[in-house]
Amino acid sequence: MEKMIKKPCMGRQKISIVKISKKNHLQVTFSKRRTGLFKKASELATLCGVEIGIIVFSPANKAFSFGHLDVESIIDRFLSRNPQPDSGANRLIKAHRNANIHELNMELTQVLSQLEVERKRGEALDKMRKASRKQCWWESPIAELGSRELEQLRMALEELKKKVAEQANKIFVESNNTSFFKVNAYENKTKPHDQSSVASSSMYKYWLV
Amino acid sequence: MTRRKVKLCYIADDSKRKVSLKKRKKGLLKKVSELSTLCGIDACAIVYSPFNNQPDVWPSHNGVQRIVSQYKRMPEMEKSKWKMDQDSFLRQRIMKSNDQLLKQRKDNREKEMTDLMFQTLVGRSLDPFDMMDLNDLGWTIEQYLNDIYKYQSDTNNMMAMVAGSSSSSAAALLAPPPPPAAQAPTPDHGVMRNVGESYQGAAAAAATGSSSTGRFDQMDTQQWIMNLMSPQASFGGDDMMLPIGDTCHTPLWPNNFLP
Repeated sequence: MEKMIKKPCMGRQKISIVKISKKNHLQVTFSKRRTGLFKKASELATLCGVEIGIIVFSPANKAFSFGHLDVESIIDRFLSRNPQPDSGANRLIKAHRNANIHELNMELTQVLSQLEVERKRGEALDKMRKASRKQCWWESPIAELGSRELEQLRMALEELKKKVAEQANKIFVESNNTSFFKVNAYENKTKPHDQSSVASSSMYKYWLV
Repeated sequence: MTRRKVKLCYIADDSKRKVSLKKRKKGLLKKVSELSTLCGIDACAIVYSPFNNQPDVWPSHNGVQRIVSQYKRMPEMEKSKWKMDQDSFLRQRIMKSNDQLLKQRKDNREKEMTDLMFQTLVGRSLDPFDMMDLNDLGWTIEQYLNDIYKYQSDTNNMMAMVAGSSSSSAAALLAPPPPPAAQAPTPDHGVMRNVGESYQGAAAAAATGSSSTGRFDQMDTQQWIMNLMSPQASFGGDDMMLPIGDTCHTPLWPNNFLP
């Protein structure tokens, strides 16, 4: 897994399989690995059509369990050792539940791929920033600017801010003069970026109409 | 090891499925074992493959029996609290991923706006933008300015401490103007940091990890734009109306700041 941006976490490190000595490290590991384990179980069940049951006791002795279809029936099946013939009703219930699970998997897949898209976009934006920083001194981090440059930048930004306010005012006035103000005006713009990102920001809900 | 994205649905091809089953089952049992050893806890797994009545288990048949009886002894409520099936597990995953998605979108929006800020700073026209963009843009500019003010005031404080009286005049000249009134509260120092490590902003000051509430979360949209459109305290740069050229080179500024 290559690291594009420096992150505070340590990344993938090889560890030896012995009991972890530090308590909070142990707790964190438990939490993460338990989730990962259930994820693997979920995938195995979905991809290969198996029935699976997992029981895990936490360091605090809480009983976590995961089952497909449900852990209790897996346990019963295990304990009784009798293969239970699937009744018609059972099969129907199973089919129904499997269909539901399939829906959820599809939904998850969709969200994950959207997430991947946004992450890539974030990386591209970072890359652009990095490149333009080399050419334009004012885009450098504030801490890297000299006091003279910083002052110039500050004043330019203050000026820009006024311009933005003026422009906003202009639009506001114009909108009052027209019969009704379309909130969806942003759809008409030539924005290079994906519109859905605009729609998803919750702040827009409160804008005036 | 190739990392290819696998589709989350039943593998139709029989032979591929068998291969996958074998590998994944092995991997899963290994993971249970690791979890148990690393954290010093009891765990067990039971896997029923289709067409096979004997399950694959970990740690062993007896081990599973022991843990299962331990599990059965627990009170119902305790068990059901942490009991998951595919349905609940997937829903949880979906929720978490959705949260990550929203956060990533907000971060990206902040990055976009910062880019836009710099572009409009060097001359890109404000005409095509609507109220929402202008609002976000104005907000972004304001946050950046706040970072600058903070950095300048921190630098002055340091200078004053180090150099004593000689820098007091310079400090007075560099003193930031009063910040704009009645804004929604923003997380201190944290604003620029939310936009990812590449935006260092006022990172020089107190680089403590802040809770990741993006500044857009705290913005009161109407409040902000109304404030901006009504007359407010003038900024230090009022007398210095500098044209924003559309070239990249440094404009010449009157040298009134430092003697």
